[in-house]
Amino acid sequence: MTSDFAEMTLSDYLAQGGRLTSPGNVPPRYRAELLKIMATFVDSNLAGAAGFADMINSAPGIKARGAAARIVAEKLANADRVLTLMGEFGADTDRYVRQHPWDTRLERSADIGATRIEHDMRLAVFNYPFTSWADSVVMNLLMGTAVCVQLEELRQVSYQPLAEAFRDILKIEEHHAALAVEGARVLALETAELQPSVDYWMPRVAVSFGIGDAGRLEQLKAMGLRHIENTALKSDWMERMRPILAELGLRTA
Amino acid sequence: MARFHELEVTDIHKTIRDAVVVTLKPSEPEAFAFTQGQYLTFRRDFDGEELRRSYSICAGTDEGKLQVGIKRVDGGAFSTFANEELKVGDTLEAMPPMGRFFTELEPDAGKNYLGFAGGSGITPVLSILKTTLAREPRSTFTLVYANKGVASIMFREELEDLKNTYMGRLSVIHILETDAQEIDLFTGLVTEEKVGQLFRSGFLDTDATDTAFICGPEPMMLGIAAGLKAAGMAEDQIKFELFASAQPGRLAKRVISKEAGKTANEAQIVVTLDGATRTVAASKQLSVLDAARAENLDAPYACKAGVCSTCRCRVLEGEVEMVTNHALEDYEVEKGYVLSCQSFPVTDKVVVDYDQ
Repeated sequence: MTSDFAEMTLSDYLAQGGRLTSPGNVPPRYRAELLKIMATFVDSNLAGAAGFADMINSAPGIKARGAAARIVAEKLANADRVLTLMGEFGADTDRYVRQHPWDTRLERSADIGATRIEHDMRLAVFNYPFTSWADSVVMNLLMGTAVCVQLEELRQVSYQPLAEAFRDILKIEEHHAALAVEGARVLALETAELQPSVDYWMPRVAVSFGIGDAGRLEQLKAMGLRHIENTALKSDWMERMRPILAELGLRTA
Repeated sequence: MARFHELEVTDIHKTIRDAVVVTLKPSEPEAFAFTQGQYLTFRRDFDGEELRRSYSICAGTDEGKLQVGIKRVDGGAFSTFANEELKVGDTLEAMPPMGRFFTELEPDAGKNYLGFAGGSGITPVLSILKTTLAREPRSTFTLVYANKGVASIMFREELEDLKNTYMGRLSVIHILETDAQEIDLFTGLVTEEKVGQLFRSGFLDTDATDTAFICGPEPMMLGIAAGLKAAGMAEDQIKFELFASAQPGRLAKRVISKEAGKTANEAQIVVTLDGATRTVAASKQLSVLDAARAENLDAPYACKAGVCSTCRCRVLEGEVEMVTNHALEDYEVEKGYVLSCQSFPVTDKVVVDYDQ
């Protein structure tokens, strides 16, 4: 890397699929949008891990508890990986984790749509509390696949260090999604009542794909930070969920 | 947060007419252990303004030395200084090595690597190929190296020596923009088409390639990446290092507004975001970020605690008080950057820009 040549504007380069590689070569607006994407991921994982950690002791057996603990540990490791990249832009990474109570939740009956609560960027779905182990498995079942769909898109992000992180994280999330399917199968065999949880979580997970703002998406696309419409991602997720839910004898909400 | 360390210049020599290779001895050597392909960020004061520039390390990790290559750029203050004034015994300041332009090495692996370098983009690629050939005795490396002409090829002799040292494991294809060569294919620019021709004519082989490294100017990186993908390589087999650094424009120092300092409780905040400028009137009790968002401006933020730096903007006129700052460095603050979530208007008029 050297400060040589200037044959092409950075926006042309990005519009043609170019990659940026270090904090030193990102322009200001790109920096801000990139940090927002990273903060959303980090906050969602910190909040998700904090929420699921409370469920470990509710898991039925040692295996399930171990799997839940492992999922929590890996979500924290994933958050750490992306927070480290934020640190390279100047973020104080220790303080970032400490400055906020990640385990707080709203009332189960709260209805906040896609809005974020005031002081963090977690996806809205991570603001709702679980009612039981089965409820948390259903949420993980739905959200696990949603995260995979979202990461499959984000691994093409034009900031190469983040694209590489997301590629590795996707493999871990695919495993988490598979564990959730396994957990749900066990519960289904025990004839647990899962449908109310599906009805509760499905619309809330669907909202995590974002509400369409075409102008904003175009802006992010031009920077190579996004590539696919929110609605297309959401229908991809619905398509994938349908057979999984059907196998478990559940209906889509 | 990374900090700057002092390094002494122990050797400096020209590799071509307008590029120097600088050998450095860090005052704290353990902070400067590096991985092949990483870069150093230097800082230096020019006419009262701090400039930061990054240059890739060109030494291999087993050479026992820290060396960077700096090519002079027209109008580039740091590169001109390095080429014309820097001498042995001088002290430079740099942050510890950074960057991810490398793959893990495995001593038992027998891999085939492809490197593409344009001009001074050779520096990190040279570090990678030297380290790889030394650490992975069964691996091969093919370098496609683009330059204007023979006279502008950095490290030409060193590459010849390496070919002899690693007989049969290192091949170098020079592509020259203006100088004619025996093989027509080796003249011109390295474009997507050229990459395709190199594959079809057998000079390169994607099937056998494990990883490709590309460092050069933007159009070249795009062309090569497209060529490699067309030849069947996957995204995760291609590593990029972008050449240019976004140069924050040198703007006039911020102006303190003449009618500043009055004691009104309300401030006029002029906000530029995505190329559009709007004026919002807001209480001085409201942060610049909240004032902008209250008027439906989509100003960026994440943590709202002065920790993450997402909401950074530049104050061009007037004065704000930044109550918390855990993210911006002193030099950024000196240039007028603030965390808008933590900044409250002091003067009656404040002009901020999120686009700088």
